[in-house]
Amino acid sequence: MSARGQVVFKDIWKKHGEFVALKNVNFEIEPGEFFALLGPSGSGKSTTLRILAGLDAPTAGQVFIDGKDVTGADAAERDVAMVFQSYALYPHMTVAENISFPLEMAKMPKAEIAPAVFDAARKVKIEHLLDRRPGQLSGGQQQRCALARAIVRKARLFLLDEPLSNLDAKLRLETRVELKKLQRSLGMTAVYVTHDQEEAMTLADRMAVFMAGEIQQIGTPEEVFAKPNSIDIAGFIGNPPMNLVQAKYQDGDVFLGGHKFETTMQAAGSRDVVAGIRPGAIRLGGDGLQSRVDLVEHLGDTAVLDLDIGGALMRVRVSDENVPKEGDTVAITARPQDIHLFDSQTRMRLS
Amino acid sequence: MASAGNTAATDVAGVAYSDFGHVLAQRERRFATLLLAPAFLALLATTTFPLLFLIYTSAYRMDLSMPFLNGFVGLENYKVLLSDDRFWHSLVVSLVYTISTVILQVIVGLALALFVMNMKRGQGWFRVIAILPVVLSPAVVGMIWRTFMLAPEFGIIDYLAISAGLGSKNWLGDPFLAMVSVVVIHTWQWTPFAFMVLLASLASLPEDIYEAARIDRASAWQRFRRITLPLLRPAIVMVIIMRTMVALTAFAAIFTVTGGGPGTATEILNLYAYRKSFTELSIGYGSALAVALLIVTVIISAILFAIRRGK
Repeated sequence: MSARGQVVFKDIWKKHGEFVALKNVNFEIEPGEFFALLGPSGSGKSTTLRILAGLDAPTAGQVFIDGKDVTGADAAERDVAMVFQSYALYPHMTVAENISFPLEMAKMPKAEIAPAVFDAARKVKIEHLLDRRPGQLSGGQQQRCALARAIVRKARLFLLDEPLSNLDAKLRLETRVELKKLQRSLGMTAVYVTHDQEEAMTLADRMAVFMAGEIQQIGTPEEVFAKPNSIDIAGFIGNPPMNLVQAKYQDGDVFLGGHKFETTMQAAGSRDVVAGIRPGAIRLGGDGLQSRVDLVEHLGDTAVLDLDIGGALMRVRVSDENVPKEGDTVAITARPQDIHLFDSQTRMRLS
Repeated sequence: MASAGNTAATDVAGVAYSDFGHVLAQRERRFATLLLAPAFLALLATTTFPLLFLIYTSAYRMDLSMPFLNGFVGLENYKVLLSDDRFWHSLVVSLVYTISTVILQVIVGLALALFVMNMKRGQGWFRVIAILPVVLSPAVVGMIWRTFMLAPEFGIIDYLAISAGLGSKNWLGDPFLAMVSVVVIHTWQWTPFAFMVLLASLASLPEDIYEAARIDRASAWQRFRRITLPLLRPAIVMVIIMRTMVALTAFAAIFTVTGGGPGTATEILNLYAYRKSFTELSIGYGSALAVALLIVTVIISAILFAIRRGK
């Protein structure tokens, strides 16, 4: 049933006067995929979703859904469903009326609407709230109502614009899991906009990372985490994000704070680079770079240390055993495959 | 004994304490009364007293042209009123005038508000120009229409009618056209009020639910019917209530344009009461007419408020 929902964005540009919101955006989404558009605010990910939904038109480029060019088609003609960040529920209608609205607009026979509404409500566990109005619901319940309205019509594309950002932390984690299960069980193509890298990492099959109106990397969460394409992505993905420090590269080694680290790069020669090491990839002890512990943050089963390495800050995630004290001096090392090198001019990945 | 004495002591303290609070509350109340008094007395003198005096007068025969017949008549004025054809006629004119002006104001006001909401530029200017008729005195509006718009041959409306090949019309002399004219004048002056209220209400509607409706495949008409209208309902009902009360008691514009004429074609109840009282100088009967208008207004607004609360 999930052969529907293939999306192609081809050379999409969006300009608001002088301001360029999207620069030559290209990507493809396979049917049944959970695809995340990830990026900081103002990076163009929501604009991309609105263009896909048909709420905004691109300045240049083409949008294809299931092989058909829909660039000029209105939202109503695209057969997509969307969950808005604000939920956008109809305030004067009950939950049942909200969920049945897309079915009525699709001219479904009355007799079939009621069971379909109940079924959708049951899937998101709000079947006991059908008579309430949105104003009488909690934020989490409103979010479920918006979800039910989006899944009831069995549209070919399921668009979600930061659907979890208005929920409290605990509810967000619970709903995240349910959302993933729901998408799997319905087998629908989902496009998910978020600024939260953790959400994208846990939910998405693949993701596109936006920076300043451009897609900088498309890949599975594992690929993006393991091999970030640029300094900006490296600094955006991961919690705490990757440590990025100015360093000197020479003949396969990189010099950090005067200490030599081996890398996987072979090229001969000498140049300035930015070296990146994930906080979790740094090892304490052994014959390493000497640094002072400025601050210790205990997170329960792990701790994060702020280290001072010759004036630069480096954060290290350690397990809760053997946590050094503030003011201690520790030695740090890292495996060659854990050291990422970036060009300090182009900000792109070298290795 | 000791414990009993103790309780008594606290009781006394308790009484003293509540006494103190009582005194404070009393002082506060006295001060509030003092502040309220001027407004209250002014209202009493300008609304309550005239109203009671009106009801009192309506129970008397008070005829300035035949003062020797004056005296208490009880409900006699009301008995006459119920079998007075001219009273029933003026009541019908009042209702026709009110219903048609209110419906026109809501429809035209809503259409204008929807139009202005979609204007890309010039919204501010449009609002300023649209609000102008409201700030004019109804008597001035009446004069403008009688001389500038409807005057035979030279009035703008008549000129347009002639240019359109309809020929010169006797706008204020023909009973039907006169009624149409006064309805149009009232609508012209007061539609901006409905327009402003509905525009403010429209502007407060969230934009995202319209995007949701577009994605749910609702057409423009369905979005208006199923979303805009229900959400504007409270504002529309409020406009209807306020405009109905004003239309029922309209006076100045009709008085300056037609004076109730030709004959009694545009003689609303208010105008009939005025003519009886101050043209025919039959103050007692005029008062009874005014009380009848008051009762009609109260009944209609009670019905409208009941509808508003019911839904």
